[in-house]
Amino acid sequence: MKELATAFSPVLPAFLALIAILVGRPVMAEELIVALSSEEVKITSNFTGTGIAVFGAIERDAATISRGSFYDVVVVLKGPPETVVTRRKDRLLGIWLNSAARTYPDMPSFYAVNSSRPVAEVATAPVLKRFQLGFDNLAFETTEHEEAITPEDISFRDAFVRLKQQAGLFRQEHYGVTFPGTNVFQTTLQIPANVPVGRYEVAVYLFRDSAFLASDSAEIRISKTGFEQFTFDLAHGYGFLYGAICVVLAIFTGWLAGVIFRKD
Amino acid sequence: MQIYLPIAELPVNMFLIFGMGAAVGFLSGLFGVGGGFLLTPLLIFSGISPAVAVASTTAQVVASSSSAALTYWRRRMIDLKLAGVLVVAGVIGSSIGVGIFSMLRRFGQLDLVISILYVTFLGLVGGLMLTESIRAIINTRRGRPAPLRRPGQHNWAHGLPFKMRFKRSKLYVSVIPIIAIGVGIGILGSLLGIGGGFILVPALIYLLRVPTSIVIGTSLVQMTGTMAVATVLQSGANHSVDGVLALILMVGGVIGAQFGARAGALVRGDQLRAMLALLVLAVGIRFLVNLVITPAELYSLTTLAGDAR
Repeated sequence: MKELATAFSPVLPAFLALIAILVGRPVMAEELIVALSSEEVKITSNFTGTGIAVFGAIERDAATISRGSFYDVVVVLKGPPETVVTRRKDRLLGIWLNSAARTYPDMPSFYAVNSSRPVAEVATAPVLKRFQLGFDNLAFETTEHEEAITPEDISFRDAFVRLKQQAGLFRQEHYGVTFPGTNVFQTTLQIPANVPVGRYEVAVYLFRDSAFLASDSAEIRISKTGFEQFTFDLAHGYGFLYGAICVVLAIFTGWLAGVIFRKD
Repeated sequence: MQIYLPIAELPVNMFLIFGMGAAVGFLSGLFGVGGGFLLTPLLIFSGISPAVAVASTTAQVVASSSSAALTYWRRRMIDLKLAGVLVVAGVIGSSIGVGIFSMLRRFGQLDLVISILYVTFLGLVGGLMLTESIRAIINTRRGRPAPLRRPGQHNWAHGLPFKMRFKRSKLYVSVIPIIAIGVGIGILGSLLGIGGGFILVPALIYLLRVPTSIVIGTSLVQMTGTMAVATVLQSGANHSVDGVLALILMVGGVIGAQFGARAGALVRGDQLRAMLALLVLAVGIRFLVNLVITPAELYSLTTLAGDAR
């Protein structure tokens, strides 16, 4: 028996690879088709948030083996990256003040995860980590030493996620993706009113039996328009001029009120 | 009605902001203060970032104080020469203040310094004003006449060199304390997003012995000038003045200020000062409580840089 195993040993890796290819074949056969209700969100003066509907179909060619289990879909919306400092208050001489801090570069300013089931049930931990699916699997690249993650680091990360969630900028809907048909899914990504503007990425991941099958992504632009854009550009490009305009406006308003309310 | 603020980047209820502006405007007209020390915390409380709240309030103070100054101008209750010296000093002060503001923000201690300054100055000024006004009220109740201002009554501030004559205020004093007051108010103003009237008015009364009738109009002119420059500086350095927010606050503020100024004429001076003192103390205590009690959330986030545009 031992001899047999030894004789087979050079063949074994190849055999395993073959199995992998065979198992993997349907992976290549599944294709994702994704459509968005809109590719641009325009922020106007009456903007109070919106929703973006994501529709998708799972295409299978004839060779795909039909299986009993269902598909799992995870839809992720990521905002433009930003550098964020998380600070913790500590008591010093009876006063609470910011002391310890962690800086996280390259974090998504907005992050929404809609899935057909809680992400932890959709795929294994390494896969979730690889695609950064779910709050727990976000990659925190600290500018501080990263050799050992202390419990303190964990509490800073948790605080970051908690505060982002409270601001409505990190969102998770465990059963947000629904299947109107076996191979058709849909979800609505909620965009809150305080959404940062910029380029967003919508990524759709398809899983079955914890195995990653396919993914697709698209881009959304969230931008201000008209007066809002003009004001923002003016304030950032010509700050002093903009400030001067505000002052003129203020003095004019003050003067006008004085004239209107004049009694004597 | 919800309206989206282009610089603060969030929608707010227009009528709520308008109401805040009107209420604070009423108080500012009543007491002759800018009202920034009330408005800035109110805005931060309604979800607007401290940087935008401070800078936009600065613009609002320009509108409400210029409107109220106009009323005092018509009644000829302004010492323009004194106001001019104070404005020049105030501009120097607010330039320094905007610099300190940016520096503290980098170190993450802006909130702490703002809170400590609020507690210190509001507590000190509120306390002094309250004791003084209560004493004055008791004196009037007992039928004792208020101590008259005698021409020869001077304090240390009057012994300094570089004397200047201010005819309207019937003063002949050194410019050093005037410039010191102006610079100090300018620094505090740009740091805290306040006009500084609640400090300026008592400083002018108790330190320089400027007549009470002239003090409010003069301090309003000083605030208009200093805060106008502070608005331009904040906008140029921090890009944080929200024009839409400021405009809603201004319209509410100037309307409120008109009614406030009229109501102020009906109330006796010492009672007005007592009411203002209580208000100032209340805000100061609020900040002190925030510093001392264990906060519900120990952590906070600050965005340093991002592609969000």
